[in-house]
Amino acid sequence: MDPYLVSVLSNIGMISFIALSAYLLLLTGEISFGQQAYFAISAYGSGIATAMWGWPFWAGLLWGATLAGLAATLVAIPTLRLRGLYFSIATLAFAEMVRLVFEIFTYQVEIDGELVGPDGSDGFRDIRYIYDSNVTAFEYMLVIYGLLALVLIGFFVLERARLGSVFRMIGEDPMLTEMQGLNATAYKVLAAAMAGVIAGIGGGLYAHLTTYVEPKIFNVMLGVHSLAYGLIGGLGTALGPLLGVGIDIGFLESIRAISGYRMIVFGGLVAVLLIIRPRGILDEATVHWLRRRWRRWIHAQD
Amino acid sequence: MLEVQDVVTAYGKIEALKGVTLRVGEGQITCLLGPNGAGKTTLMLTITGILKPRRGSVRFHDKDITGQAPGGIVRAGIALVPENRLVFPEMTVAENLRAGAYSRTGSAASEIANDMEAMYNRFPRLRERSTQMAGTLSGGEQQMLSVARALMARPKLLLMDEPSLGLAPMIVEEIFQIVRDLHKDGTSIFLVEQNAHMALQVAHHFYLLEQGRVTFDGTPGEMAEDEVIQRAYLGTRQTA
Repeated sequence: MDPYLVSVLSNIGMISFIALSAYLLLLTGEISFGQQAYFAISAYGSGIATAMWGWPFWAGLLWGATLAGLAATLVAIPTLRLRGLYFSIATLAFAEMVRLVFEIFTYQVEIDGELVGPDGSDGFRDIRYIYDSNVTAFEYMLVIYGLLALVLIGFFVLERARLGSVFRMIGEDPMLTEMQGLNATAYKVLAAAMAGVIAGIGGGLYAHLTTYVEPKIFNVMLGVHSLAYGLIGGLGTALGPLLGVGIDIGFLESIRAISGYRMIVFGGLVAVLLIIRPRGILDEATVHWLRRRWRRWIHAQD
Repeated sequence: MLEVQDVVTAYGKIEALKGVTLRVGEGQITCLLGPNGAGKTTLMLTITGILKPRRGSVRFHDKDITGQAPGGIVRAGIALVPENRLVFPEMTVAENLRAGAYSRTGSAASEIANDMEAMYNRFPRLRERSTQMAGTLSGGEQQMLSVARALMARPKLLLMDEPSLGLAPMIVEEIFQIVRDLHKDGTSIFLVEQNAHMALQVAHHFYLLEQGRVTFDGTPGEMAEDEVIQRAYLGTRQTA
């Protein structure tokens, strides 16, 4: 497979995690500008585990995702009492705090005569586990998509389960959800924790693909993009944010003719879609309609 | 079965309820009348645990439920049909119905399916529209869905906050027929209404709430005799 294609597809896969993370919160009606914080926490956490503590890759990834989930829970408990814009600003502030902490966070150990570990704004080099284990870029791409498939299956199960339905109820009307005897705040904290873990998986994968992370990667643009993916692709299904990532990275970035104008085209696309299709291309009504068509088609085959 | 004792509920410094005391009898339809802004909805939200009272107590079946979480109150047997026929618009009719039973964590799936079937039998129009988005229903249908959703919690006491608000007279008749049917089936009902004429036909007991205080408490007969209520709500007696 063409190395450029493998790298684009790997990027799409990794960014899909953070897009799904923002999407999960959008389902519960919360707009978070700060999911990049959990992506970053896990990128550093899992990198430290494999490069400095000698942990195996899977243990490092699990550790990073757990840290991200814990951080998300701790942030959610006070901030989810805020509503709408106030919540969004709080998530943005937290993510910037995390980024600034990584700007000064230094923790290095000597391994084989070299200093390894995060070095403030100079970043964290040599997260080489994947290369040292002779995993090819293509194989690593399969790892990314394998994990993405698992998360997606999780989403599909969730969408058909009580929990997914409760998340949507909260997104539509938190007070009416409370009237059904459900504790909306507790469910929101749960959604935030799950979203933190999902972003964390992406962050861990990212650190081990690039072998190098630095604080400025995790700036607010990453958060804004992850949020926009769901809004472009659609909030009716977990495939929506993936469609959004595909449109942005797969389509806009690959077409050389508009490469310099990518941000302008992307920003315009978000603005236009928010006006004509506020809940994205694959919104609830479209997904509902597609499901009906699909069922009818299945019936016709019998 | 429900006793509200000296309840004060406030939004910040403004007290919407200034010491409300009333009771809802078992097997009865109790009606709460009152102008806009009197605190009727605030009282409903306080009983269901969505708002916490500053003072006073709410007792249900002789158990203190003051300040409990909404989940506990729904499970105790109180369900609310909220004002303005609120539904989850981007979810199907069936999903809306199921949502009403989400607090019944102890019930088997088959039991809940049976209850949904019973709702479809009671409201055939909801069966026809079961896979439709609730937001596409007409006002009357949304109100039926809202009632059916509350019934999915299997309440012993049903609170209904102005179920006739903004509906056509024919639909209002239909809603009040549902109220009568539910009462016949053994559900106690606490009804908030501005349509005093309709309420007079169904209710056993009346309260009038004005500016956060109960200013009248009596039977339909007493109410029909009360001069103030006649003038303000029934419009039967001309002022001399």
